[in-house]
Amino acid sequence: MGKEIIPAAEKSLNLIRGRLCDPSYVFRPLSASSDSNYSKLKFIVSTSITEGCNNSILLLGPRGSGKAAVLDLVVGDLLEEFPDSVSLIRLNGLLHSDDNCAFKEIARQLCMEHHLLFSKMASLDENSQFIVAMLRECGLAHKTIIFVLDEFDMFAQGKQRLLYSLLDAMQSVTSQAVVIGLSSRLDADQLLEKRVRSRFSHRKILFLPPSREEFDGLLEHLLSLPADSSFPNGYVSRFNEKIKNITSDTRFKDILRTLFNANSTVNSLLKFIFRAVSLMNLESGLLSLENFKAALSSMQRQPKLEAVRDCSILELYLLVCMRRLEVKEQSSYKIISVMKEYKTIHDSFQTSDYYAQNVCLRAFEHLRERQVICYTENRGQSQTGEYRPMKLLISASELHQGMRSHACCPAILLKLLDH
Amino acid sequence: MPAIAGPSSSPQKHVVGSRLEVTGGLRSAEVNTCRKRKLRSDSAAEVSSSTPVNSISTPMKWKSPRRCAVSIPKTSDEEIKEDSNGNLASPVISVVKNLDVCLDVESKWNPRDEEQMKAVKEALHVSKAPSTVVCREDEQRRVFEFVKGCMEQNKAGSLYICGCPGTGKSLSMEKVRQQAEDWAKQTGVPCLETVSVNCTSLTKSTDIFSKILGKNESGREANGSSPPLQQLQSLFSQKQQQSSSKMMLIIADEMDYLITRDRGVLHELFMLTTLPFSRCILIGVANAIDLADRFLPKLKSLNCKPLVVTFRAYSKEQILRILQERLVALPYVAFQSNALEICARKVSAASGDMRKALCVCRNALEILEIEARGSIDQEPQGPVPECQMVKMDHMLAALSKTFKSPVVDTIQSLPQHQQIIVCSAAKAFRGSKKDRTIAELNKLYLEICKSSTITPAGITEFTNMCTVLNDQGILKLSQARDDKLRRVSLRVDEADITFALKEIRFFRNCLL
Repeated sequence: MGKEIIPAAEKSLNLIRGRLCDPSYVFRPLSASSDSNYSKLKFIVSTSITEGCNNSILLLGPRGSGKAAVLDLVVGDLLEEFPDSVSLIRLNGLLHSDDNCAFKEIARQLCMEHHLLFSKMASLDENSQFIVAMLRECGLAHKTIIFVLDEFDMFAQGKQRLLYSLLDAMQSVTSQAVVIGLSSRLDADQLLEKRVRSRFSHRKILFLPPSREEFDGLLEHLLSLPADSSFPNGYVSRFNEKIKNITSDTRFKDILRTLFNANSTVNSLLKFIFRAVSLMNLESGLLSLENFKAALSSMQRQPKLEAVRDCSILELYLLVCMRRLEVKEQSSYKIISVMKEYKTIHDSFQTSDYYAQNVCLRAFEHLRERQVICYTENRGQSQTGEYRPMKLLISASELHQGMRSHACCPAILLKLLDH
Repeated sequence: MPAIAGPSSSPQKHVVGSRLEVTGGLRSAEVNTCRKRKLRSDSAAEVSSSTPVNSISTPMKWKSPRRCAVSIPKTSDEEIKEDSNGNLASPVISVVKNLDVCLDVESKWNPRDEEQMKAVKEALHVSKAPSTVVCREDEQRRVFEFVKGCMEQNKAGSLYICGCPGTGKSLSMEKVRQQAEDWAKQTGVPCLETVSVNCTSLTKSTDIFSKILGKNESGREANGSSPPLQQLQSLFSQKQQQSSSKMMLIIADEMDYLITRDRGVLHELFMLTTLPFSRCILIGVANAIDLADRFLPKLKSLNCKPLVVTFRAYSKEQILRILQERLVALPYVAFQSNALEICARKVSAASGDMRKALCVCRNALEILEIEARGSIDQEPQGPVPECQMVKMDHMLAALSKTFKSPVVDTIQSLPQHQQIIVCSAAKAFRGSKKDRTIAELNKLYLEICKSSTITPAGITEFTNMCTVLNDQGILKLSQARDDKLRRVSLRVDEADITFALKEIRFFRNCLL
């Protein structure tokens, strides 16, 4: 029985993971409505192509909200609809913000599209003349060139020569081009010089996070298995049934809400589902709520908390001593003072955990390696380790939380921390 | 390729319907206008039974200007030149009056007709230069007089044109150049040679001299011995042979790209006109009003400061007039007059930039088109229910799309924790302190979370969210060695934040 299910489980896992990694599959249902960004963008670009007029658009939105994915969908559809009248040039602000590089890259891509020979030795002047000539030729042949500028705000640094020449070329009747800029900065068009801004046509499409209903629809779209013959029939219906149960559970909704309170982009949802699906139990072949809970905690890790949780008791003592010194208005303290505090605690509370100096020094080293404490300055290299000032790298609340979730933290430490 | 002529200024002049020559390489709009003619006569015949009497007469009255309007794409260059010198005021007013009459007849404009939509969009496109430049006659005349004077006296001179972007400077320069060439042809003065340089395309600012030289002596190749500037200077300091006594008109667009630290290039350029045998007329175009004063003090001492012509930003009446000029040639009325008026009013109050006005009008057209198409899906068959012109609400929607910043929308759609961070930043930077570390901001954030029993995010997550907000341009994060010591400042106005979050009571109380 177990052997039968496992290959289907693996196959379904691969299928879902493949879906999650394919942006066009993910964004298709979000683009189905006529009010979506996909249709707005498609309308603008297709009217520019059919009417042969120039246009410029800016796509704005936080990272991971699907700007590049929707643009790829639109471009793919347009290349199918108008196979001969569209040519695409892609530039990235991180790579091509320098004018020389940008012009060279545009010339190279134009040469590749039109099967011309490209010479690497061409100068900036020659490249720009070539580009202007190509724009004119394509305009006469009614072929539209689409310029896609990723990380648009990086192009707006410096003299903005590339932006000016592109937008200026679009002011003439002879060229037929569309400039699409993608940026995560909302004020990307305020970064433009006034000359360039005047030539830009001020169309902005904002990519806001999808609404709750859209997210629910997206979840279903991504996680339901298709009922085709490659999967055993019973398995598909059981899997989809389980998914429906999970998504209607209030605990799942709580998990989603915690996720969205931190980051509500589509990308973070995809990462979350990917982790949950990867934790799927292959023997049963079905997802469960625990998978999603574990995925959430792995996404919202707190490394310092985990470091405190793994500390030994002695290390916890030392941390509490340092915290108490901090409360007494000492922002950095030498090991000697910490040891003094440690002795005072031992004397006043008669604890059983009193260790010798060299053991404590080793504990300090461990804490420093884990970056829970550190030296305050690097200048005094000549001083030996015991006399260099140190400070805590975690806050009081983190320490508190870590100690509370520690497996066997002595109660006295918590009491000491609160005072 | 001859410039595609826009609406003519004096349609009453051309009462010639038989002009059917087609100049090469034009769009297919003219073929469609023939079809349009048939459509209109058909619809006029249909409508005649139901509409009142005066509307029947107006199509007839309209025929001659419409036919002239149709013949405009086919007019040759001479006619354009003829009427460019003509008087513009009265025909425009009479045409506008006809427009108002025509508003009664509403059955012509059909937003679902693709050809009509295309024609209107073309008329409103920025790249379509009209045949006459309205509202800039004064400035054009001044420049032309200056150039004419220089040509007549065979003297050199310099002129500086300044103005905000989108005020018609480059357009007017093209017209003046054409005017000057025609005038030279007419009066028999030796023809003008023009060098038109856009200074953004120069890799080095000294390249402008080689460009001027390249045009001046096309036969001779630049020899590497003396730099182009010296060649030009020597050229202009000696008496010329009679063969090449042409005047040279140099138009330097976006001249502020030539400004270097020691302003050497600009000085040399303008001083070329002061040399004894110089034959160049230099026209510099830029945005700064005081470029001549700030960057060319030497010229004042030499007593050859350039003449300054300022292109002021367009006023509301000017924008309205230009928009109407562009639309007057079309045989149908697509825009309601109050829609155009509000567009002109808003754009002139903001910047006076003509490109923006044209852009907003095209946006409004597109909104109308989407609306018309939307209603097509609902009722697939049936006549146009009522006249769907671009009304006030379309124009207002287009204006808000253009002028609104996306900040408010984005803040409203941020996830909750990021909104709390933005709130705490607004509170933190209320006083004189404009700069804080992430650790301090984290403290404020924790306070707000505690006061409302929301579980706060850990410091790593907090730093990540601050980075995301930095990417979006809401906060500004500096770089520092230690993550906690990075400094944060707010990029968005606090008023925007308050406005965006005013619906939510929690934030309203928070920001008090």
